[in-house]
Amino acid sequence: MKELINSTETINRLLARYGVKFGIYKNGEFKEQLFPFDPIPRIIQNSEFQFLEKGLKQRVNALNCFLSDIYGDKQIVRDGVIPAEFIYSAKGFLPPCDGVMPPKNIYSHISGIDLVQSKDDSWYILEDNLRVPSGASYPMIARELQRRSAPDAFSCNSVIDNRNYAELLKEVMDYVNTGGINVILSPGRYNAAFFEHSYLAEKTGAVLTTGKEIVCENDRLYYIDYQGKKQRVGAVYRRISDEYLDPMTFCEESVIGIPHIFEAYKKGNVALLNAPGNGVADDKGIYYFVPKMIRYYLGEDAVLMNAPTYLPYYDDDMKYVLDNFDSLVIKDVAEAGGYGVVFGSSLTAEKKEEFINLLKSEPRRFIAQEVIDFYDLDILDTDGTLVPRKADLRAFVLAGGETKVWPSGLTRFSRNPDSFIVNSSQGGGFKDTWVLSR
Amino acid sequence: MGIITVDKSDHLFWLGRYTERVYTTLKYYFESADKMIDANPECYDEFCRKVGILNVYGTSENFLRTYPFDENDPNSIISNLNRAYDNAIVMRDYIGTETMAYIQLAIDDIHNADRGVATIADLMLAIDHILAFWGCVNDMIDNEQIRNIIKLGKGLERLDLYLSLDLPDSDIIREYRRMKQFLAKSKLRYDESVINTVDSMISDSKLNHGNIKNLLRNLITE
Repeated sequence: MKELINSTETINRLLARYGVKFGIYKNGEFKEQLFPFDPIPRIIQNSEFQFLEKGLKQRVNALNCFLSDIYGDKQIVRDGVIPAEFIYSAKGFLPPCDGVMPPKNIYSHISGIDLVQSKDDSWYILEDNLRVPSGASYPMIARELQRRSAPDAFSCNSVIDNRNYAELLKEVMDYVNTGGINVILSPGRYNAAFFEHSYLAEKTGAVLTTGKEIVCENDRLYYIDYQGKKQRVGAVYRRISDEYLDPMTFCEESVIGIPHIFEAYKKGNVALLNAPGNGVADDKGIYYFVPKMIRYYLGEDAVLMNAPTYLPYYDDDMKYVLDNFDSLVIKDVAEAGGYGVVFGSSLTAEKKEEFINLLKSEPRRFIAQEVIDFYDLDILDTDGTLVPRKADLRAFVLAGGETKVWPSGLTRFSRNPDSFIVNSSQGGGFKDTWVLSR
Repeated sequence: MGIITVDKSDHLFWLGRYTERVYTTLKYYFESADKMIDANPECYDEFCRKVGILNVYGTSENFLRTYPFDENDPNSIISNLNRAYDNAIVMRDYIGTETMAYIQLAIDDIHNADRGVATIADLMLAIDHILAFWGCVNDMIDNEQIRNIIKLGKGLERLDLYLSLDLPDSDIIREYRRMKQFLAKSKLRYDESVINTVDSMISDSKLNHGNIKNLLRNLITE
């Protein structure tokens, strides 16, 4: 590790050289900043990874079964495993997707599953991200650069190479492609994750595009070159959210989507990665039911545990939440990116009363979880000392011909010693994640 | 990576133009700074006039101190380099991370020169990185058409600046011929009558720089 620490300045210089940045809007102004990188990786032993891999594949397979069911027969609702209200009131449930089957019946091709490790070494799933999970490009390029700046650290350790992410992604795009080129659809230069969009396009050989370069004719998508020649598009790895994807079907004010793309998708003429409507499965309220889904669809017990979660929607859970309010973390199911998270113990008496009234009036809007005491990871502080910080792991699961877990992941950490919030939009940094080969 | 849309060709073209603008204005800035040491302290006025920017500097010191670095001035060198970056960043999948890095490094050089004590010597690093960028364009971009569109932008900008700076006719003719090669290979739409007219003017004993410059501004039609 000493070598990695000694090369901190070099690696940061290289990350700056290659523009490893993310965008952020502050006071209405767009700013790009370097994503703070900590040189000390999270290390996962091979046996531990095998356990995680098993659990993650299982979870994503069950979530794909759930999405296929929910936009199909809805058997899981009919069988009373999940209350209908949780499906239809979820913001991510999209009625236009009802009855639409995506190519090869895969909904979540790229899943970002957030986990934390507690101090007793148990892993817990914190949330599933099945819409447009981002972050894989950062450990991918960091590994490339760290191998240059501290080669001995890699020759002395048996680290599985993680630079195959682009290959895995391309494999998935090719598998679901309906005939034509692969494209990555980005909202454009001023999106927070634009670095990732452009880097993945470069590495997968897909064409990076914005909506205005693609047209839909006769329910097929075409990419148009500057001489007016058209080229068929078979797979769109879209990095824009559902509501902006197609102004003819979803938000009509969208200027970054592609008019009629949804019709082309509906007719099976183009694959969309990930499928629209996935938000119903990564809704924080639905999260509670994932272990039940695993049992229901796969007939297995969940390998990976959820964080202990309560749904104030149920009377018993509401009572528990009110009785134990101060020890719980309450999350607004409609929020993401670390927003809408309230630690009961942090509220003043007045704010607490206000919040409880809101909870009682909109119980479906919130979930409550036990606060997991995350395993702290050491990071290198600005003065060169090692300090412990809260960290999570975003694992990437890719579903194509088979479901594969990328042997790496994005480890995000809080730079604030008193915070559990690791999101980059709120000042967090990242580490590489090493999976050892033995 | 064989498909170039109108937007992408536009970004490639302007990437070439802005990098060239930075390169040539930096070289002219060095030349002018040298004159300002002891030969002609007021020659920044001529610089502004020739490059076509407003002389808002007041003193030669202020010119030397702010023209390369002022990000609020759209004509400054750093602003032009930022525009090059804006065009490069959206073309990462076409030009590659490695090629793009040289634009980033040139930006860093200018920021570092702003903070340093040997401004001109430090700014020379930006020239090095722009040359490395062009080397990378030649070496690492497989698609000939992409290379040619970037080089067409570069060639047209150079010609425009050389004409503005009133460089010798032999330089203008050389750059014009070079630019024409890229024009044909780029497959961009252009106004052939402009080329025919400039071709006939090239044979004149003394070139009319202003006329050629105005004509070339209407060359590209998309």
